[in-house]
Amino acid sequence: MKDKLQALHAEAMAALATLGNARELEEFRVKYLGKKSVFSELLRGLGGLSPEERPAMGQAINATKATVEEALAAREAEILAAARAQQLLDERLDVTMPGKAAPVGGLHPLNAVLNDLIDIFRSMGFDVVDGPEVETDHYNFEALNVPADHPARDMQDTFYLTDNLLLRTQTSAAQIRTMEDRKPPIRILCPGRVYRADEVDATHSPVFHQVEGLVVDKGITLCDLKGVLEQFAHEMYGEGTEVRFRPSFFPFTEPSVEVDVSCPECGGKGCRVCKGSGWIEILGAGMVHPRVLAGCGIDPEEYSGFAFGIGLDRLTTTRHKISDIRLLFENDLRFLNQF
Amino acid sequence: MKVSLNWLKRYVDIDVSTEELCRRMTMAGFEVDGVEDLADTMRNVVAARLVKLEKHPDSDHLQICQMDVGADELVQIVTGAQNVFEGALVPAALHDSDLPCGVHIKKGKLRGVPSNGMLCSGEELCLKESDYPGAEVNGILILKEDAAPGTDMREILHLNDVIIDFSVLANRPDCQSVLGLAREVAVVLNKELKRPVPSYKTVGGSIHDHIAVSVKDFDLCPRYLGRVVTNLRVAPSPDWMQQCLKSAGMRPINNIVDITNFVMLETGQPMHAFDLQDVKGAEIIVRRAATGEQITTLDGKEHNLTDDMLVICDAESPSCIAGIMGGQESEIEDDTKALFFEAAKFRRDSVRRTGRALGIHTESSGRFEKGVDIVNTAYAMERALQLIDELDAGDIIDGTIDLNNGLPEDRVLTVKAADIEALLGVSIPTETMVDILNRLALPTTEEGGVLTCRIPSIRDDIEGRADIAEEVMRIYGYDHIIGTPMKGAVLRGTLTDERRKTDRLKALLIGQGVREITTYSFINRKAADVLMLPEDDIRRDVVALRNPLSEEFGVMRTQLFTSMLTVLATNYNRKNTAARLFETSRLFIPNEDAALQPEERPALCLGFYGDGEDFFTMKGTVELLCRGTRARFTASGEPFLHPGRQAAVWLGDEAIGVFGEVHPDVAEKYGFGTRVYVAQLELPLLFAAEKPLVRYQPLPRFPAVERDLALLCDEDLPVGEIADIIRRAGGRLLESVTLFDVYKGAQIEAGKKSVAFSLTFRSSEGTLTDEQISPAMNKIFKNLKEKDCILRT
Repeated sequence: MKDKLQALHAEAMAALATLGNARELEEFRVKYLGKKSVFSELLRGLGGLSPEERPAMGQAINATKATVEEALAAREAEILAAARAQQLLDERLDVTMPGKAAPVGGLHPLNAVLNDLIDIFRSMGFDVVDGPEVETDHYNFEALNVPADHPARDMQDTFYLTDNLLLRTQTSAAQIRTMEDRKPPIRILCPGRVYRADEVDATHSPVFHQVEGLVVDKGITLCDLKGVLEQFAHEMYGEGTEVRFRPSFFPFTEPSVEVDVSCPECGGKGCRVCKGSGWIEILGAGMVHPRVLAGCGIDPEEYSGFAFGIGLDRLTTTRHKISDIRLLFENDLRFLNQF
Repeated sequence: MKVSLNWLKRYVDIDVSTEELCRRMTMAGFEVDGVEDLADTMRNVVAARLVKLEKHPDSDHLQICQMDVGADELVQIVTGAQNVFEGALVPAALHDSDLPCGVHIKKGKLRGVPSNGMLCSGEELCLKESDYPGAEVNGILILKEDAAPGTDMREILHLNDVIIDFSVLANRPDCQSVLGLAREVAVVLNKELKRPVPSYKTVGGSIHDHIAVSVKDFDLCPRYLGRVVTNLRVAPSPDWMQQCLKSAGMRPINNIVDITNFVMLETGQPMHAFDLQDVKGAEIIVRRAATGEQITTLDGKEHNLTDDMLVICDAESPSCIAGIMGGQESEIEDDTKALFFEAAKFRRDSVRRTGRALGIHTESSGRFEKGVDIVNTAYAMERALQLIDELDAGDIIDGTIDLNNGLPEDRVLTVKAADIEALLGVSIPTETMVDILNRLALPTTEEGGVLTCRIPSIRDDIEGRADIAEEVMRIYGYDHIIGTPMKGAVLRGTLTDERRKTDRLKALLIGQGVREITTYSFINRKAADVLMLPEDDIRRDVVALRNPLSEEFGVMRTQLFTSMLTVLATNYNRKNTAARLFETSRLFIPNEDAALQPEERPALCLGFYGDGEDFFTMKGTVELLCRGTRARFTASGEPFLHPGRQAAVWLGDEAIGVFGEVHPDVAEKYGFGTRVYVAQLELPLLFAAEKPLVRYQPLPRFPAVERDLALLCDEDLPVGEIADIIRRAGGRLLESVTLFDVYKGAQIEAGKKSVAFSLTFRSSEGTLTDEQISPAMNKIFKNLKEKDCILRT
């Protein structure tokens, strides 16, 4: 019996080495380790032995069976590892093939830039407000210190609806509505659509967009205006950007300034973008005209303020180097998909 | 305004480079739009005297010239021209020279004979007869005998000049003149302004013996000034004056006309000269025209006048459109014997309106429109007379006619220096402020920190403290403004509710692969016809522009479909195979009272086409936008949508929008070869219906029970109606109803369809049993049966 056990052990170990897959493993388990396996048979044959021999033989059989079980487990692990390795090998991909994603839409570039602007100014405490696009002569001109015969009316050709109603030529109209509604401290940003009777070409559009800012409080100075615009310029164009004021004229601000930033393209050395000057003009601004304040019931002796108006379309075209403003209104997907 | 540097230098010493001048003027508020250096165009071309002329040995037309170019040795130049002669003074382009026509000249050989340059014709120097006499003669330009050999031709041709184009702001009409700009240059460079002080001699007599003047409409003509000059000696004006006019792009005509133009450019006050013998009745009347009156202007054009236009008339008819253009009849000509000089102030909006109505814009009208100073008028007249005297162009008769309604006194403004500093946020020494203001010709004194400024009428843009602050600051320098961070109360930056909610919808759409577009707010009125809207459709009631760029942009839109379809069509035509687009914009709904502002109603529009798009992809997107509301959908009847493939979106009893497939007739008009889907929702109604805040529902603790229902019904019974019946009958335990199949065809009788729903029942109290569900199921069957909707067996 002992010989038989040894032979069986040798046979099992030999068979084990030939096993290649899960099915063969199972067959092996049934043959050698199951209830009707050869070892079970041997154990059942213990009855034919003498009581003295029985314990030792039983132990030997169980020990041998245990070594086979152990070897089987090891072999099984080996086979599974090999199978997994093969699986992984078979499943390898060409990772340079294109990815799959649900198609994604996007904001129009004008609104993407506007959202950046809104974020910048909201962080400085500006409330975002909206005003009507059809305005009265009063809000668009009179209250902004542009009386009927003022030459400044020539600066902007206006679309009229009636004698008194017009399409607003500037978001500044919203300044007046805000100052009539709220009392200082006022800090608002009014983005919106404006209209001027310009023929359409690469740099002109009868419909365009402005972002108007207004601050009114006690002790507001021209330096505060510069501080706010510097922060805006740093966030929009980068930390090192310089801001320059140049005298200008707007009827509703005094003093009025044209605001330039050091050319983001060349850093101020002079290039094609800034036409060699090192500066690009980004917006107009100034201290709110005392007459405008007074007209809104705000005492110019007690309060002062500043206002600025950013041309969103120009900001967008310069930022993305868009050569023709018409692209913004044409909405060709080959254009929109670039943003 | 374009101004010659040489002309500016007549009034102020400019000792900085042109570049520096431009930089400083820009920083003082006079941006430079362009600089043209006339000398850049020509180099190394000199006046040269022909000393010796020989025939070329190997040519029958070439000649060899020995030229005196002001150097020690003669220079040999070969020419093909035949009009040269010994002793002639001609322009010679020397070796290594540049001509304005772009040609570069080097020495070389002509048929073996060395030639060290080229003799030039007027044409080669880009000259016209008016630039230099003889310039258009065929052959070499023969120069007048007043230049030494070797003189740079740029000097002879007055090309040593730079034309600077200063942009003059609308509040500074006083700088629409060389003197006005010279004042600013003088201040910026801290130099003295050499303003001409007019003086002249008169010959006695009295103006009243020559002319009578009356102003009928002082409201349009606050001041009218006249002088008479007799014994005119009409002749060309001197070189210096011609150069000045040419530098401003004006053509010299004769001394009289040139003086009026020169004075206008110099002082900013337009002048007009009438031939006295053409002034009928020796009478000038300034009045509004009578409607129907006519005038033929200097340019030979005939104009019909209306009664809101101001004219200068003689006893019979209008002879000049005030401030805009003179009449042909009273034009100064070579045989004019005596003239009447006019210097006036006409109201700017009147000149602007008249000019626009007649389609005339002149140097003169441009200045009146921007505004001329009522006091400066007299200075301009004096200056013109001084030039008449200086040029000996006529005899000045004594007496001035000066009709006005009173002239303004200088205004006095008092401003605290501290208030200026408070507005600017910088400290400026008071004496610096005083100095700057005085240099700006705003005589200012200071006492106890208070500035007292005298403001002449020419600076009527200066009204108060803020203006004084600006004058000080722009000269002191904006570089002194140092940015300070925002101070004051801490404010939080908020968004309006509408913006916040719109942004959220946009984010949803972007996640669905929809791109945002931006289109004009005005469209063609006929767009309503393209959409086949009936005559009484409310959307035909539009706000129209009075002065649109064209019919294409004639009315404010009352719907966004037109713009969306146009953009979709553009993309389709450009072979973009698929598109999912949205736009948020405002609808302009006219007010019942047209004098009041229209309602501006925010709306959202969607437009889809391409593979995979159908009615239900559009509906799915609309449903997503309506998430969180109790939106319902019913078949609708928009004329521009497919009659069987469109639905209205309802919130309560209000339709907030519509969506569907574009009607094939409309799609054809836009040139689509594919099905197109559009939607429009009114945002305020949608936003108002949103649940304010989500309230958490406990997660289910017990399993659900599913029941599938296969139903047979009339094919026209909408599944939405069936689902509603099921929901209403299902009661509290019915958690959800999901449609999973609709089938028509084989095994289903004609006119019927099979519809299958999956019903989910759940209780929060325990696992449901059949007995608990069956009352609900029975009620569902019963209610469905009333609609002839029966269980399929």
